[in-house]
Amino acid sequence: MTRQDSETGQGTVESLYPFLYASTSDLPAVLEEVRRSTVAKAAEIMELRQVICARDGARLAECAQQAARRFAAGGRLFAFGNGGSATDAQQVATLYLNPGGGSTPLAAFSLASDPATLTALCNDIGVDVVFSRQLAAFGRKDDIAVGLSTSGNSANLVRGFDEASRRGMLTIGFSGYEGGKMAELDSIDYLFVAPSSSVHRIQEAQTTVYNILWQLTVAAATRQQVIR
Amino acid sequence: MTAADGLAPAAAMAAAGPPAAAGSAAPDGSAAASLFDLRVAPMQDFADQAGAVAAACHDMAIRFHRGGKLVVFGTGGASTDAQHVAVEFVHPVIVGKRALPAISLTSDVATVTGVAARDGMAPIFAHQIRFLAEPADIALGIAADGSCASVLAGLLAARALGMLTIALVGGGGDGEIAASRAAEHLLVARSDDPRIVKEMQVTAYHVLWELVHVFFEQPGILAPGVVA
Repeated sequence: MTRQDSETGQGTVESLYPFLYASTSDLPAVLEEVRRSTVAKAAEIMELRQVICARDGARLAECAQQAARRFAAGGRLFAFGNGGSATDAQQVATLYLNPGGGSTPLAAFSLASDPATLTALCNDIGVDVVFSRQLAAFGRKDDIAVGLSTSGNSANLVRGFDEASRRGMLTIGFSGYEGGKMAELDSIDYLFVAPSSSVHRIQEAQTTVYNILWQLTVAAATRQQVIR
Repeated sequence: MTAADGLAPAAAMAAAGPPAAAGSAAPDGSAAASLFDLRVAPMQDFADQAGAVAAACHDMAIRFHRGGKLVVFGTGGASTDAQHVAVEFVHPVIVGKRALPAISLTSDVATVTGVAARDGMAPIFAHQIRFLAEPADIALGIAADGSCASVLAGLLAARALGMLTIALVGGGGDGEIAASRAAEHLLVARSDDPRIVKEMQVTAYHVLWELVHVFFEQPGILAPGVVA
């Protein structure tokens, strides 16, 4: 697992990256630059969270009420996404299924966790169907689909939402930038856009939004039980 | 993920308002807003650790420069972060950034469950480190609290091997991982809510990834290495 595997030899490497072999150095200045950049990124994500809170706070509460009703009716949650968002899908599933701290576990599945299913679908049909095909197999009308993307343009998410919507599921989307293709779909009931052009800040904001949505959903489920 | 979990549902219920207010009335954004507010202080605290972030990036860059790989691990929700970090380094989202070798120790379910069934949870990462890692490598342990036994054992095994050790921990930074001094670099998310801790840690590893590259772009601050 060394990078020698991908390089042809030391001479070539040195000519490709001459700066790595330079003798001048100004480490304190670089460390200071990196420190400042870290502070700037922290400020960026704090600001992005504020924007989303102002824009989507009420819709989050409304979405949580709808999700709580689905769970009360026996619905299950299915989360999906690609790459880093696949790890968010796994996080969303375990957030509901194994919340700890005395919160009631709720049924939730990650559609990004089974390499056998994913590679079978990719190999036999194509990456565009990896989520829609699973939703077609599992999905029922009281279920909830949660799809996460940073660009909002992933074809397999669009296909997944189409399938989920066709089945009457509650559909919740997360995207970034201006929302991407996901913002044009009729198949998404609640779309939460993190308005940023940084993939990293988008993912950080989405983590907050799905955590808060979970907390509001648990609170709404508890209230609905109290009222019923 | 122990005592810390207990605080979150209570906070959610408190933030979501009294039961009478919510069952049928149209939701507003106040419940979400108070949950968003809980993120501000921990993020400011992260920004205050920017100097430690810079130092960790520098040491990571040196290891990569010497041909080391990044080995990432965590349990529960942090297992998804380990996978996220691996894909972040191996397949950068920013075009033009070089791929860096990184693996998650949470993805080989056969080995993780096999070690856990035979020897318990504590050695699930330490076992893999002993047989997969090399002295030039970097260990990055991620824990929602400050005392995850599996992460601690992994860091100790990495330290014994001569790896660079970095830990992202939650709680107050006063858990067993900090006390063990197994990690040369320790970044603390100051929250007792494991979900908020995760959000801070996502920012932390995004920043580590992005700013490691700064050191590759600067002349003379990395000693000539095995590979570039």
